[in-house]
Amino acid sequence: MAKKISKKDIAQLLKAWSQQFAVLAPSRKRGVAEMAEWDGKDVSFLDWYRNTVVPPKASFLPPMEEMFRFQKDKGKYSIEPPSKNGQKQLIFGIRPCDARAMAILDMTFEDAYQDPYYLSKRKNTLLVGLGCANPYESCFCTSLGISPSESADVDLMLTDIGDHFFIEEITAKGKELTAKTSGLKDANKDDEAEARKAKETAYNKVTRKLDTEGIKDKLLASFDDEEFWQKAAAKCVSCGICTLLCPTCYCFDINDELVKDEGARFRSWDSCGFSLYTRMPMENPREEKWRRVRQKVCHKYEFYPMTFDIIACTGCGRCIRLCPVNWDITKVLESVPAEAKAGK
Amino acid sequence: MEQKLRQEARALLEQNKVDWIIGFEPGSLKFTTTPLITRDKADTERLVINPFIFNNLADFLTETKGRVGIVAKGCDSRSIVSLIQDNKVVREDVVILGVPCPGLIDLAKVEGLTAKDRDELDEITRQGDKVVVKVGGQKKEFASNQVLFDHCLACELPTPQEYDILLGEPIPPAPNIEASGKNIDALKKLTPAERWQSWQDELSRCIRCYACRNVCPACFCQRCFVEESEPQWIAPMPRWQDNLIFQITRNIHVAGRCTDCGECERACPVNIPLRSLTREMYDIVGELFKFKSGMDKEALPLMTHYEQEEAEDFFR
Repeated sequence: MAKKISKKDIAQLLKAWSQQFAVLAPSRKRGVAEMAEWDGKDVSFLDWYRNTVVPPKASFLPPMEEMFRFQKDKGKYSIEPPSKNGQKQLIFGIRPCDARAMAILDMTFEDAYQDPYYLSKRKNTLLVGLGCANPYESCFCTSLGISPSESADVDLMLTDIGDHFFIEEITAKGKELTAKTSGLKDANKDDEAEARKAKETAYNKVTRKLDTEGIKDKLLASFDDEEFWQKAAAKCVSCGICTLLCPTCYCFDINDELVKDEGARFRSWDSCGFSLYTRMPMENPREEKWRRVRQKVCHKYEFYPMTFDIIACTGCGRCIRLCPVNWDITKVLESVPAEAKAGK
Repeated sequence: MEQKLRQEARALLEQNKVDWIIGFEPGSLKFTTTPLITRDKADTERLVINPFIFNNLADFLTETKGRVGIVAKGCDSRSIVSLIQDNKVVREDVVILGVPCPGLIDLAKVEGLTAKDRDELDEITRQGDKVVVKVGGQKKEFASNQVLFDHCLACELPTPQEYDILLGEPIPPAPNIEASGKNIDALKKLTPAERWQSWQDELSRCIRCYACRNVCPACFCQRCFVEESEPQWIAPMPRWQDNLIFQITRNIHVAGRCTDCGECERACPVNIPLRSLTREMYDIVGELFKFKSGMDKEALPLMTHYEQEEAEDFFR
């Protein structure tokens, strides 16, 4: 049974949830839109929030994270395991594109190697989705099979139906949460119809389209088409914006830091856009920019589908919106040659 | 101006005077342009000049092999001259297509004034001293001073001094130095402790995407100090202290090369007010060394030579 809540009760709802969870919600307090610890009162994000600049992956794979500490004593190292942070989190307002991105990241982090840092946070977190009523011009989620206002990747899904939010219970965890939450009303047939209408309207607002049909095979065929990739990469400045702020990019670097006899191991975001990323003592297989641009595009649209049967892109549009030179992945993918060049 | 640019660019390629044209074409989002780097003369039809030609295209010069015809606003032309001073670019290998620039429109300012995001606006047009924004069927008028980039408000060289082809009538320097330095003056009014806190807050957002460095023509090092591991100057993790050292060192490295084109600040995805550092350095360079970056291709680069009569009171 779907529920609903009056918009003016959202602060109340978040307050109640704050009793059990560290509640994260869209915030601009730090000078950039991100998911940040809710301050206990401010729900102004309901007016300005379209999506965050920093993707919610940052709550699971932070820009930098201490993995463990170590001490050196008489030539021997002892390791202090990371403190277990069992804190339960709730992310309020995640968009369907970003929620799907979490599902995509899960595939990597719980593959052959189970990543405890990511998974412990992931398992302790509830996702409360908020449908997108005003997608950006750069958004193309519908081309990746995602609706801006529907999601199977969250625990609860909220849809704006005027003065209320319509609440769908997506998972058992979500159901359990609503059962324990007071102040929710049962939604009726009219609310349901309203929600359906809102979702349809939102869907149609996503006007940027990308034809992903056969894209994996096209990329496979054009892998050696250096001329194409050189052209596609020409204006890229090799910064890390499109990868670091991509909700599905997960590459990280690991560094040890030792000061006197104490230190720690850190991991931090890294990007295949940097030439340092693949530098080895004798050579660098991706020294040239076009090889790195190719890697980025192919990882998302060719290699990830080969490994996990899903495109590692959710059409959130951040890479297009934030790029300082307007390098647009949809334009590049549209121009991938249909056939391999003769003689290659 | 656009028609003339297209003709000239096409002619340069046809007559084999250049191998490449670097200019701007319409971008894929509203109010954007995107760099066009091409050797195909048919592409020159797409070249544009408008108040959204943000990038400093000189950034691409050092990596483009061959002779280049390049579209340059005043600030970009200074970056090109600076690269010539540093022997990074050979003057004879570039044909500078100079664009007299009345200032670029800062979309973040327009967003602030209209309380709308850029993709929710219908039209932005420059009409003389005014900028007209159409939004939701309504017309809003702003003085251009309200919506130009801070760095454009005090532009010392709107018209390139070093050029081969000038695409329009010269424009006088922009006079609004006070408005241009508003953010920096606000920082200077803080106590040192407050200022320290302010930079700590700002730099704690840095994600080390290095967009500031990579869009900057003055950052031409083959290997940036941040990538050194022996010795390691700063940690690769985006910790605010390391971010601070990165920005301060970068700023010192581009002293006398930075032309206040504003690209570092515009490129930053997390809104760090980087120009407050770079412009301050620009002013210090002007005050202490009477040096203005990229004005004279014969001048020696500031940081690579020493003159006896130079001020020695720069340790302050």
